[in-house]
Amino acid sequence: MSATLSLAAGKRGFDSETWLQRLIVAAGVLFLLLALLAPLLTMLVKSLQNGAGEFIGISNFVDYFGNPALTRSILNSLNIAVWTTLIVVSTAFVFAYALTRSGMVAKKGFRLLSMLPLFAPSLLPALSMIYLFGNQGILKDWLPVDSIYGPVGIVMGLSFWAFPHALMILITAFSNSDARLYEAAKSMKTPPWRVFLTVTLPSVRYGLINTIFVIFTLTITDFGVAKVIGGQYNVLATDIYKQVVGQQNFQMGAVVSVILLLPALISFVVERRVQRHQSAQLSSRAVPMQPQKSPLRDGLLALFCTLICGFLLLVIGMAVYASFITFWPYNMELSFNNYRFDMMDGGGWASYFNSLQMSAWTAVIGTAVVFLVAYMSEKIKPMPTARKLLQLLAMLPMAVPGIVLGLAYIFFFNHPQNPLNGIYGTMTILVLNTLVHFYTVCHLTAVTSLKQIDGEFEAVSASLKVPFYTTLRRVTLPLALPSVLDISVYLFVNAMTTVSAVVFLYSSDTTLASVAVMHMDEAGDIAPAAAMAVLLMLTSLVAKGLHWMISHQILQRTQRWRQR
Amino acid sequence: MNNSTPYLQIQHLRKSFGSFTALDDISLEIKEGEFICFLGPSGCGKTTLLRAIAGLEQQEEGRIVQAGGDISTLPPQQRDFGIVFQSYALFPNLTVSENIAYGLANMKMPRRERQQRVEALLAQIHLPEIGDKFPGQLSGGQQQRVALARALATEPGLLLLDEPLSALDARVRLHLRNEICALQRKLGITTIMVTHDQDEALTMADRIVVMDHGRIAQVGTPEEIYRQPATEFVARFVGSMNLLPAEVLNHRSLMLGCKEVQVPMVLPVCDQGTLGFRPENVQLQNGPWGLDREEDLVLQARLDQVHFMGAFVRLEMTLDQDLPPIHADLPLEQLHSQKPAVGESLWLSVCREALKFYPAEQQGRDKRPARLLEQGMRMDVAAMQVAGA
Repeated sequence: MSATLSLAAGKRGFDSETWLQRLIVAAGVLFLLLALLAPLLTMLVKSLQNGAGEFIGISNFVDYFGNPALTRSILNSLNIAVWTTLIVVSTAFVFAYALTRSGMVAKKGFRLLSMLPLFAPSLLPALSMIYLFGNQGILKDWLPVDSIYGPVGIVMGLSFWAFPHALMILITAFSNSDARLYEAAKSMKTPPWRVFLTVTLPSVRYGLINTIFVIFTLTITDFGVAKVIGGQYNVLATDIYKQVVGQQNFQMGAVVSVILLLPALISFVVERRVQRHQSAQLSSRAVPMQPQKSPLRDGLLALFCTLICGFLLLVIGMAVYASFITFWPYNMELSFNNYRFDMMDGGGWASYFNSLQMSAWTAVIGTAVVFLVAYMSEKIKPMPTARKLLQLLAMLPMAVPGIVLGLAYIFFFNHPQNPLNGIYGTMTILVLNTLVHFYTVCHLTAVTSLKQIDGEFEAVSASLKVPFYTTLRRVTLPLALPSVLDISVYLFVNAMTTVSAVVFLYSSDTTLASVAVMHMDEAGDIAPAAAMAVLLMLTSLVAKGLHWMISHQILQRTQRWRQR
Repeated sequence: MNNSTPYLQIQHLRKSFGSFTALDDISLEIKEGEFICFLGPSGCGKTTLLRAIAGLEQQEEGRIVQAGGDISTLPPQQRDFGIVFQSYALFPNLTVSENIAYGLANMKMPRRERQQRVEALLAQIHLPEIGDKFPGQLSGGQQQRVALARALATEPGLLLLDEPLSALDARVRLHLRNEICALQRKLGITTIMVTHDQDEALTMADRIVVMDHGRIAQVGTPEEIYRQPATEFVARFVGSMNLLPAEVLNHRSLMLGCKEVQVPMVLPVCDQGTLGFRPENVQLQNGPWGLDREEDLVLQARLDQVHFMGAFVRLEMTLDQDLPPIHADLPLEQLHSQKPAVGESLWLSVCREALKFYPAEQQGRDKRPARLLEQGMRMDVAAMQVAGA
């Protein structure tokens, strides 16, 4: 069938619009092939080579599994991921239930506070843990284990950092309620616990499974927290770093990367399958539920949420406080000494401005690329196979841990025979890498908003002889503007706070603030590290605030049509 | 262009989606200024055919000729048509005027003239005051009229309407039906409308194309389609019809269930078939006396139920236990004068002109036995449902 189709298409007269569309689709596919698939494949090849670049089959893997010091990390990583997932998903489940289904007071406040960790680099909770429970920590005596440096610290730090991610998915799952089911259950005199088991739980089932896999992937691939507070407790992500940076053993780094890629890929596949079920679940006729008041339950839930938010604020507050302490614990006077980054390792203030620059570029270029690619994959007709490939490639970054992507970039772009190796060590590679690292969520956001726009707009424009790019500019883009702004701020915040992918890719001219946090911590300058982490969080919050103000302004001015 | 050459010619069009055949060798000719309806159940290929004419779907085989030019492989923007969708597809961020002027912008029309054209179109759809409103501020019917104005703004040679009334409520739908018809007559624009609503097709179209499983079942004026349904499918789909499976005994008599019946027509040579007649053609008789069996079909059936339908009553009767019930529509007055009682046996007659006989497609001659089986099954299911009720 496709043969006849392409034949028929070939017979069409020269049609500049269709050719332009093909060109953009081809460019999109080429972009993702070069910036994602080629580096990953290069890394796979590297894992099968020796230091001299000769093919040696799986003997690197044999070496790896013969070394118990290395293989223990697999169990360690699994251990961390399972515990964190358990803690985060269960607390986020109750939290989300309280926010969506209870008559609890101050829901908005709880929700805002619970989102704070999204703006912090993952190193921040780890540094905070040192001040809270470290050898000179203020709450050291409360810690039930000997040392915070190890699994307990990693799990606590990761729980802080992963909490809002779980909460967002679960809130969405809980919001899809159908009041009619609850009324039916009530009219049949069903006791509340049975309503919960037979109505509530099934309706969030897919969201819950989805959350478990997302959190598992996030935590098993995390680098930042384990790096700072892991101590002697090695996990896969830190192993990669140690092999590459510590021992210059790139082959073994590639082997560990391949091993780390496996659980991420598996959970990615499962998660996509679950997602497919979820979309068809809620009928369009469902009546959203209005939460009822119930003093005892609401009070208990409010207490629970207060405790959780208290923990989140304690972690953030501790980092902020510690960053102003002159010399912990000997000189507890407050000062800005720790913010004199030029006196420390890691590139000083320059690295902060590099980070700002890198984030701005990622936000601007990334949003344009993401939106254009999503538009092409959703709204146009030519090249169905290429567009399928585009959609598949756009989903892949979700399954690739940052540290693996960073290493893959070294292998691919630092190869002397690669014509693109000129970008190695520049700002360009940092922007490219960060964009690809966070590509999937942006792509999904864009696709979701494009799907909500009437599919016949392109057909109408064609019948009115208006080229597709005019309709894209005059109609589609204005309609999708809110999500375009969301994508840009998401990219900015993540570019600002990410460590894992860029840790291999910066050069002395392009040091980054998040990496500087890590280096200062390595050098023992924990307070300045905390100060920089706080600064990064503040910057992200300011960016989010600006985004909110700008979108509010723009929406009011340009989206008059939204009001009825 | 004179009347002898058709404005739009469709020749042997074929299109499939995977293993599903959406269009199966479709050929059709449409005259200039005609109002054509594509009518059929969902999945019959009517929308695919419309989209193929617009260039929104690419056919695998066949040719489309519009106004003497072969447009088979042209992309939509190089064809000459205006289109209105069920979802209106108005641009929500543009005002009504901007929506209507959307296609005029790149026709290099001076601003003043463009403005006049928009105002003229707004007057034509009887909504002169709404130019500055946004689509979200209008009712469904108003939005669809704006969509119509937008499609007509560039003065296309062909107007395509894809279920334009299906999203509206009943009263608005009736009103808009008349408005579209009046506008079409006034402008004389060749129009194709896709619909699954037989009333819409019967009242609006000059000619109806009834489609079934990607094929054309019948093409004809509304009256032809209603009075002379060419196939059992058309008979079943347009209007209501009593359809009784029958065994052919000889060229003048049938077996209906376990009753032998003489028919006032010459039956084709076959074994099985379906006898059809419309409920409004059934006459209630006092007895079998004085009826000419050369002119009328005469039946005796037991009255089961009387349904009040407003302007008329529908009698539901059993001819034979193995057959679906027979429906007969009577004016209220006749019911009051004759007062048939439930359970009573009634004499019915149907005149020769109102009778249809559809021979069953037989093995060997039949091209698609599976479909026949499916139809037979559907009928059994229908009969079972009625029996169950």
